[in-house]
Amino acid sequence: MKEIPEQPLSRMPDNTAMKQQKLPAHHLRFSAKLVLSIFFGTGAFCLCMGVILILSAKKTKKVEINYTKICANCAEFRENAYNFDKECTCSIPFYLPQKMEGNVYMYYKLYGFYQNLYRYIQSRSNNQLTGEDVRDVENCAPFKVSRDGTPIAPCGAIANSMFNDTIILSYKLNSSVHIRVPMLKNGLTWWTDKYVKFQNPSFNDLPSKFAGSTKPPNWPKPVYELDKSNPDNNGFLNDDFIVWMRTAAFPTFKKLYRRLYRIHHFIQGLPAGNYSFNISYNFPVTRFQGEKAVVLSIPTWCGSGGFFLGIAYTVTGALTWLASFVLMAFHLTWKRKKKEVLQERSQASSRKAENTSGQ
Amino acid sequence: MDWQRYWQGLEVPTPRTIYINDPLRNSFCPNWISTAKYSKWSFLPRYLYLQFSKAANAFFLFISILQQVPDMSPTGKYTTLLPLMVILIISGIKEILEDYKRHMADRLVNTKTTLVLRQSSWDRIMWQEVNVGDIIKALNGEFLPADMVLISSSEPQSMCYIATSNLDGETNLKIRQALPETAGMQTEQQLLNISGKIECEGPNRHFSCFTGTLHITDRSPVPIGPDQVLLRGTQLRNTQWIIGIVVYTGFESKLMQNAVKSLLKRSKVEKVTNVQILALLLLLLAMSLVSFVGSLFWDRANRAGMWYLSKEGGKSSSFGFDILVFIILYHNLIPISLLVTLEIVKFIQAQFINWDEDMHDEKSGLHAMARTSNLNEELGQVKYLFSDKTGTLTCNVMTFKKCTIAGIPYGQSSSCELDDPALLANIKNGHPTEEYIKEFFFLLCMCHTVFPERDGNNMIYHASSPDEAALVKGAKNLGFVFTMRTPHAVTIEALGEEYTFEVLNILEFSSDRKRMSVIVRTPAGQLRLYCKGADTVIYERLSKDSLFMAETLTHLEHFAMEGLRTLCVAYTDLAEEEYQHWLMDYKSASTVIQGRIQRLEACYDAIEKEFLLLGATAIEDLLQAHVPETISALLKASIKIWILTGDKQETAIHIAYSCKLISGHMPRILLNANSVQETHHMIHQNCQDLGDMLDKENDVALIIDGETLKYAMSFGVKTKFLNLALSCRAVLCCRLSPLQKAEIVEMVKKNVRAITLAIGDGANDVGMIQTAHVGVGISGNEGMQATNNSDYAIAQFSYLEKLLLVHGAWNYFRVTKCILYCFYKNVVLYIIGLWFTFVNGFSGQALFERWCFSLYNMFFTSLPPFTLGIFEQCCSQKNLLKHPQLYTISQKGKIFNTRVFWVECMNALGHSFILFWFPTKMLMHDMVLQHGFTTNYLFLGNFIYTYAVVTVCLKAGLEMMSWTKFSHLAIWGSIIIWLVFFTVYSYLWPTIPVAPEMSGQANMILTCPYFWLGFIIVPTTCLINDILWKVMRNTYKRSPLENVRQLESSKVKGFEFSSVLEKRMTATNLQMSLAAPQPHEFILRNNSVDLSAPHGYAFSQTESAVITQEELVHYYNTLVSERKGS
Repeated sequence: MKEIPEQPLSRMPDNTAMKQQKLPAHHLRFSAKLVLSIFFGTGAFCLCMGVILILSAKKTKKVEINYTKICANCAEFRENAYNFDKECTCSIPFYLPQKMEGNVYMYYKLYGFYQNLYRYIQSRSNNQLTGEDVRDVENCAPFKVSRDGTPIAPCGAIANSMFNDTIILSYKLNSSVHIRVPMLKNGLTWWTDKYVKFQNPSFNDLPSKFAGSTKPPNWPKPVYELDKSNPDNNGFLNDDFIVWMRTAAFPTFKKLYRRLYRIHHFIQGLPAGNYSFNISYNFPVTRFQGEKAVVLSIPTWCGSGGFFLGIAYTVTGALTWLASFVLMAFHLTWKRKKKEVLQERSQASSRKAENTSGQ
Repeated sequence: MDWQRYWQGLEVPTPRTIYINDPLRNSFCPNWISTAKYSKWSFLPRYLYLQFSKAANAFFLFISILQQVPDMSPTGKYTTLLPLMVILIISGIKEILEDYKRHMADRLVNTKTTLVLRQSSWDRIMWQEVNVGDIIKALNGEFLPADMVLISSSEPQSMCYIATSNLDGETNLKIRQALPETAGMQTEQQLLNISGKIECEGPNRHFSCFTGTLHITDRSPVPIGPDQVLLRGTQLRNTQWIIGIVVYTGFESKLMQNAVKSLLKRSKVEKVTNVQILALLLLLLAMSLVSFVGSLFWDRANRAGMWYLSKEGGKSSSFGFDILVFIILYHNLIPISLLVTLEIVKFIQAQFINWDEDMHDEKSGLHAMARTSNLNEELGQVKYLFSDKTGTLTCNVMTFKKCTIAGIPYGQSSSCELDDPALLANIKNGHPTEEYIKEFFFLLCMCHTVFPERDGNNMIYHASSPDEAALVKGAKNLGFVFTMRTPHAVTIEALGEEYTFEVLNILEFSSDRKRMSVIVRTPAGQLRLYCKGADTVIYERLSKDSLFMAETLTHLEHFAMEGLRTLCVAYTDLAEEEYQHWLMDYKSASTVIQGRIQRLEACYDAIEKEFLLLGATAIEDLLQAHVPETISALLKASIKIWILTGDKQETAIHIAYSCKLISGHMPRILLNANSVQETHHMIHQNCQDLGDMLDKENDVALIIDGETLKYAMSFGVKTKFLNLALSCRAVLCCRLSPLQKAEIVEMVKKNVRAITLAIGDGANDVGMIQTAHVGVGISGNEGMQATNNSDYAIAQFSYLEKLLLVHGAWNYFRVTKCILYCFYKNVVLYIIGLWFTFVNGFSGQALFERWCFSLYNMFFTSLPPFTLGIFEQCCSQKNLLKHPQLYTISQKGKIFNTRVFWVECMNALGHSFILFWFPTKMLMHDMVLQHGFTTNYLFLGNFIYTYAVVTVCLKAGLEMMSWTKFSHLAIWGSIIIWLVFFTVYSYLWPTIPVAPEMSGQANMILTCPYFWLGFIIVPTTCLINDILWKVMRNTYKRSPLENVRQLESSKVKGFEFSSVLEKRMTATNLQMSLAAPQPHEFILRNNSVDLSAPHGYAFSQTESAVITQEELVHYYNTLVSERKGS
């Protein structure tokens, strides 16, 4: 048996402030002065911010055209599955009263399309999209493989349901000349998407990269034919595809479609005048009671998110001020009351003292 | 004793036979003990079992298993399993550390050494190697390693003295005597030659009962009783050595049989928390059900047209499966980290108690010790305090402080011992009362049963009664030294001269007689009877010629009022023939078999008469330091104090006076009855007298003895008794057995919904210490039993004040805030999942990335609860001690109850609402990024997540009443940790295959102005409401705590604080006025009520011991024992 080292009978703890729980501390107390100044300060700040935000949100220019009803005939046409390979176009003329200066972005907007469903969001293969293994369709149920068992590339419900309307904006230069507004198909995605998350398999020849896989069932053409003109915008690297794969949080969402190429007439932006959208209607939305719209917009420094944030700031600021006024009123009346009570008490206690001394 | 009767018949252990000097035939349990929870091998299974028997852990295990089902979990497979494992490992490490300490302590005990007869010589072996049947030799001062039968000892009549404070808490020495048949067996050879066996009952827990038979070959069997048994844990005293045969070892020894593993105590807060967790579980189920029903309806309405979700004619999801998805999605509503957070927090709180220098006893070098950490907050809620008396309130040190001799009081100075120069001067200068003074001290030197022991020039006195020792010591200091006792004489050295008195008879003390006498022959040949006893009995026996009666009586009253224990002393001279006549009578009385005691007492009574009063002594039963102050502080904190003692009624009342628990003219209800009917009648009578005041706080003391208590606790009387007891300000229970102490605590604990605390120092308090919600042991005295069974050990009673008022209150605030905050933060984040469900078609999609989801509790919001739990201070300790009324806040549990919990949950719900819908509205338009880039659902998720982390951390800041550097570290640190983690995490994919969804998020979010705009407004909107709410409450329903805090921060000195405080207090708690007695309108007129001033009589002599006091005195010979010693 080993000998046990003798245990010291008394432990001598260091007498530190930490151990004696005497750390210097600031006692947080909400004194009237502190609270009122916090409230007034916050209120003032919020009101200012609110006004600034509202003003800047007002500056954003936006054109939004819902084309579900306008192209109702096409919608009906798409209801019929047999027409899947037939084209249906529709043209929507509109008038731009003021010119839109700056970088104009074109969005498509879907109503009632649930990109945020659990089974929908999960149905993709990030491994496949990095280009490492085209056959990796692990999480893509129910769009993993085609009927004959060939892996689908890109697999999954998200890819399969990719938005495939073509929207062309044309400008009526004069009564007879329509020119197509030049739009850029690239530069629509986050840097990480284009260079990290999405990569084509490494083969020289694009179709052979995707050999051994098949197109998603709803697609008319395989992934390597998305943009034959530009190899950097083809296959998994296609910007439209990448944008679509960024699943939206809400059932109503916008996605960036094109951006204005600022040359010739459009060097300043979009001049005022008559325009029309020429839409090749492919994406069926009526089946889920959805709608489609196209949006032209110029975001400001804080995006073009609408008035909410500005209003939120203003309302919060206003309420805080209101509260601080109420508090101030309470505080003043209470102070007076307290004084009275204290006086009464001191009188009472002095009376008491007299009584007892009298006895 | 009574409790034996209670326990007898419960167990019928099989008798055992021990063969002497035949080790192979004795196979019993080893003397090795272990009090540890785990062994090396049992650790894992036992630990896991214990952990998973906690409902919360089992729940998370269940979730972890569910997550393994493919396609089931919206939050990944290991996101719950991993945190759960981390938590289990952390608390596992804590368990191992704690158990290691226990192993070390056991090892220390097991490796103590003792002498054992092995192969014809005395070998020193370790305790754990001792076996049943071994012959053991123990030396003076040693602790005994096992239960054994005494064979022989160094002392005359083969007696030995043992200190049993380890076992029963009694501090007087007890005498054990070997059988005459074995008394001669002292040498190795003799011992080795014994052959025979001992038959005895099996191991049991009754300390003072033992039945056995010693069979020695060729001799007739002899019965062995408890007087021959020495128990493990007792200490040998005043005895050179003893030899004994081991009968019970290890766990079978009586000490270990009594060390029942105490049940794990759970605090009230913990119980409430468990209920709240259950409530959250129900909420979780409700949420899952709502979502599930929602998904059914939504599916029916929309599924048909959703071509993008599945192939044509794809299967629809199955029932039951979906609801599990939702349970997994919301399961974090139950805070997974709460339990482990609390464990760590409480562990550190316990360390704070251990470290506290204010609870460090310089003398003994002992610190307070928190032996368990799960009752820390319970210390802040104590309502009933049950205190032992001896060794807890008192030091068990008696000092002869004052006396009155021939009508003149001495010892007015407040010094510790009687040392009055006037007294010495009176002796030397031939004062008229000189003779009385000498006679007085002769009496003190003679009329006792103390044994002197010379230690160099110093005398050491051994006495079974500490009072007697105090008197003899006091006399010695004044020059009257008791130097020697031989069987029939006592020698004293008075002022340099030596006198030898022949001691003829000792008329014993008993609690009925309340006096003792000795009959001596003075050196001059005169027969004299010296008597000391209670004033009442002495005064009835005074002769008509006795002087100073009136003066002495006034002095006695004074002494008693001061809380001193008094004894009257008187003498009488006896005529020779009268004595001879009496002696004959006495001898015949002492041989009577039936009713001997009565005969003897009658006989004593016959000669104890015609006394001449000398004066009276006053002994102080020294209270521990600051006991009265502590008691008054605790009373102010509206804690009710009950004294439960095994001591005599008079002594108990006395101590209650001197520690200011009972004030001078407080009516005392004395319940002393002999039957159930009588008890019932008395209780009923008193209840009726109290009338309307029953169930209210009355300025009355209730005093009850153990015998009566037994009746009072019987069925039918119990409720009334409890009512009566609860209506009294002070309750004293005397002459209680350990079991009765526990029973009283149990009764209050069960019938009153309040937290009880028991404090004691001896083994007789173990029961109540274990029964009470919180058990506190006084450490530092020899006995460790109480300490070892307590939850907290402190060295002095007065430390209780800091332990309760400061640590208790702080810990209560800390733990409750920590718990509420943990609930809050989980509800805030995880309810957001429910809001998101409403916009995503009840599909069960999570809004946050799966690891962010589960690491929320582990990393990003783990520091604030710790700071709240460890460093929070509701107000400074100085003020907590100065205003004990503040204790009532935690005592009443105002800041942690079901209402508070739901308010906090509603608040969290509100916050989560803002946290979800504000960012949702902000991002509704999807055009917040500068280059018009598209966002996704996780973009929204990360907005919300960041805002949630910020809000939750700042909320902790609002909850904190005191900000230390750790608060800053926790709050800002947590926010920064999240932002850093977020940034790093966004760059991992695809290098490290996790979180592809997160890729690039930080890059986009942190550069988005919209994000930073929300970063300011969202937490502000959430928290401004909280501030507003707090401010309104502070203004309108201001708590006394707030007042104190205001004073603290404004640092106003000399401000009339109490008036501010009182104003708030009077309405809310009546107990405030506790300190000032209320006039009582009731009239207690029955005869059980004592309204008189207290009497001082006190005597702590042992009664009915093995050997009578007279015999004992006659055995003892200073000369012999000194020879042996040298």
